[in-house]
Amino acid sequence: MDDKTLHFRSLSEAVPGPKWRSLFDTHWPAYEAWYLAEGERERPGYLACLNALRRHMPELLPTYRTLCDLAGGGDLAARFLSLYQPPPYITGCSQAVLARAEETLLARNYDYPPELCEGSILLTRWNERRVIAMTDCLWGVLDGMNDGGLAVSLAFGGRKAVGDGFGAPIILRYLLEFCDTVPEAAEVLARVPTHMAYNITVADAAGRYVTAMIGPDRRASIRRVPVATNHQKRIEWYAHALASETLIRERQLSILVDDEATDVARLEAAFKAPPLFRHDYRRGLGTVYTAFYRPAEGRVRYHWPGLDLDLGFDHFPEEWVTVRYGVRERLGG
Amino acid sequence: MLESLKRTLCRLLGRGGSAERPSPRDAVAADAARNTTVGATTMNKITSIADVRRHFLNNKEPIYFISATNFNLLGIGDWVGNFRHINYIDCFEGQQRNVFVPKEKFPRDFESIEDINNYLLEHKEVIDFIQSRADGEKAGTAAFLMFDEHTEEVCEQLGLRIAFPPAALRSRMDNKIETVRIGNKAGVPSVPNVLAKVGSYQELCEVSRELGDDLVVQTAFGDSGHTTFFIASEEDYYKHAEEIEAEAEVKIMKRINCRGSAIEACATRCGTVVGPLMTELVGFKSLTPYKGGWCGNEMFAGAFTQEIRDKAREYTFQFGEALREEGYRGYFELDFLIDMDNGEVYLGELNPRVTGASSLTNVAAFAHSDIPLFLFHLLEFSDVDFDLDIDEINERWSHPESVDSWSQLVIKHTDESVDLLTAAPRTGVWRMGADGGITYDHYSYHPHAAESEQEGFFLRISGAGDFRYEGADLGILITRGRLMDDDFQLNERAKAWIDGIRGQYAGQSLQDPVVEEVAVSHAVGGGNFKIL
Repeated sequence: MDDKTLHFRSLSEAVPGPKWRSLFDTHWPAYEAWYLAEGERERPGYLACLNALRRHMPELLPTYRTLCDLAGGGDLAARFLSLYQPPPYITGCSQAVLARAEETLLARNYDYPPELCEGSILLTRWNERRVIAMTDCLWGVLDGMNDGGLAVSLAFGGRKAVGDGFGAPIILRYLLEFCDTVPEAAEVLARVPTHMAYNITVADAAGRYVTAMIGPDRRASIRRVPVATNHQKRIEWYAHALASETLIRERQLSILVDDEATDVARLEAAFKAPPLFRHDYRRGLGTVYTAFYRPAEGRVRYHWPGLDLDLGFDHFPEEWVTVRYGVRERLGG
Repeated sequence: MLESLKRTLCRLLGRGGSAERPSPRDAVAADAARNTTVGATTMNKITSIADVRRHFLNNKEPIYFISATNFNLLGIGDWVGNFRHINYIDCFEGQQRNVFVPKEKFPRDFESIEDINNYLLEHKEVIDFIQSRADGEKAGTAAFLMFDEHTEEVCEQLGLRIAFPPAALRSRMDNKIETVRIGNKAGVPSVPNVLAKVGSYQELCEVSRELGDDLVVQTAFGDSGHTTFFIASEEDYYKHAEEIEAEAEVKIMKRINCRGSAIEACATRCGTVVGPLMTELVGFKSLTPYKGGWCGNEMFAGAFTQEIRDKAREYTFQFGEALREEGYRGYFELDFLIDMDNGEVYLGELNPRVTGASSLTNVAAFAHSDIPLFLFHLLEFSDVDFDLDIDEINERWSHPESVDSWSQLVIKHTDESVDLLTAAPRTGVWRMGADGGITYDHYSYHPHAAESEQEGFFLRISGAGDFRYEGADLGILITRGRLMDDDFQLNERAKAWIDGIRGQYAGQSLQDPVVEEVAVSHAVGGGNFKIL
């Protein structure tokens, strides 16, 4: 099996402009094909997308409209950018919050097919708050933090249910653009509909944290749980649970976080080794990157074996990082 | 050619037209010159045709016709300021300014014209276009060929007022069974019939014993040619048994030796305005693959006797008044079946909307000497108060000299083959040579640009890159003069036009099985919406 190569790119652009447009131009052909994979008619019309945003996340509308204009003002791109009822998709992922007196850490491994990862890390100031985020679907968020002290991360919830709602990355973007604290984020997660099952972990600078288990077919479960992998309460999709080893990872994380002796260094080390770090690239479940957010300090470290990228609100160089993913070999920068 | 072009340009620019046929704008300008004290902004009540013309030419509120194509309301933009067509198909290849077609479209298997309209209204480019022309929350007025409750919801959100009675009422009126009942109440007879639930051939025979054994069965809803079944034997019945037996009630008629005709009218608060009686072209194999399917109209004064024309007009007026009692108002069309054996005029069906025949109703001489029938419809749905002498208008429109002769052919693909079009005739004026061959003369958007029977205005529907499949609309030819003979058969000129237009199309057979499967699925799966 050939190695897979992915370029990560950090970009700073306070208001949407040519840099975001260049991202759109680069990734749109692939996203367009994905968005149309089930047929154009399966995706909701623009008006339905606009109405859904207006109803559930109205504060996002000005940014949405600006991005639609930058994307050329067309119908299909606007529908895609709403992330309302996108095609179903799943990921792996592990995430955990370590809330200690001295600092709060939100750590996560993103397990996904590398060729489908966008690799864009954006620093923006679209709605007063500065936001650093690993993007998905061009403005959605896989994980990120804002300068109000909020950090978020998502993991697939391990259930096949699909329904009326948004792709989780846009919900995470909404959280980072308009919330500063965990209680504010929890209120949003309780009311904004998702189209698939996701586990979203949120931590803030004050050391508060929750994991919201959201899905299209039941009320959100929002509890003070510091870890999340790829199931919600009980296993419902056994094949996925087996392939993603969700129970093993959850147990590992729970033991670590519950142990008062676990410090930041120990948790970081755990994320860099099996079973949390996964090499299953053949089935699209290998770890693409690891992220460590320190929301109180406004700093994040993106990690690949042998390579770290440290970014913060006060230090955000624009860089390219090239990563090769092999079936067995270590990753290299 | 040069003169013709100059005249067309003059009309387009509104700077005076040919001496023999002044344009509507010129006529209004003359009216305005006579009466400068009454402007659109100060007009409290409309009391004359001149007022109506001026009112609409000065119109500022956006008015839209939203449909698959602009065929049904060709040329209405000449009479109404700020009138725009929003269409799925660009019959004009971008040349027509008042036609808006979204650039970014996907080939879809549309299930109906309502489906197309809802797609258009939810499309970003269309919404942006409508909003860019809106006055705050008020986006203007929309007219449709077809719409449903979902269309109504979307229009409400977009701030568009619909210039038609509610979809639910239209749907009730569109029911062929209901049409018979309204007709009976209004004193407008239908062909001898019974309305009944049919579960078997035996049951059909029993309930229709008094009608004889040569029958026509129609279901409550459906497009022409799709839900009319001719049954003279048990074998005929079984061909359509499933569709007939699925209905709660069907209309069973005695089959008569009849000619199809169509008449359009508009029910207004001042009375029902009635257009001229037109012949219908039905079921010609060279035009449509559907037996009994509509494929055009002719308008000329001598198509039927004065007695038949008067009777049809009288019936239409009565039916219009009955519709008003039912709560329906505005444009409608009635089909009458003229019994050739005894001259009886029977009600066929009601289309509570503009139709394919509207393109002729709104272009003939009477429409230009007064106003097109559709303007009465817009007036009825405007906020302006009006008091017009409808009897006087109907009297004027009933005179044979008010009706000049126009015909149209709706040309569908009639073979079972599916291919990809590589060439198609352009929209505009085509000229027929002495040998019957046709050549493109010039671009125009208006049927009037065809000035003689040697010329025809062609509106292209299917273009290069479209799939050609059985039942696909290729295009519509509108020309002066007749296209049928006295026996209601296509005449030689019509045949030459059909051959000529078909000859301009070229297709490429589908080699790739995947492409063919997509094309066949597109054709069979409901993509074959028809231009009504």
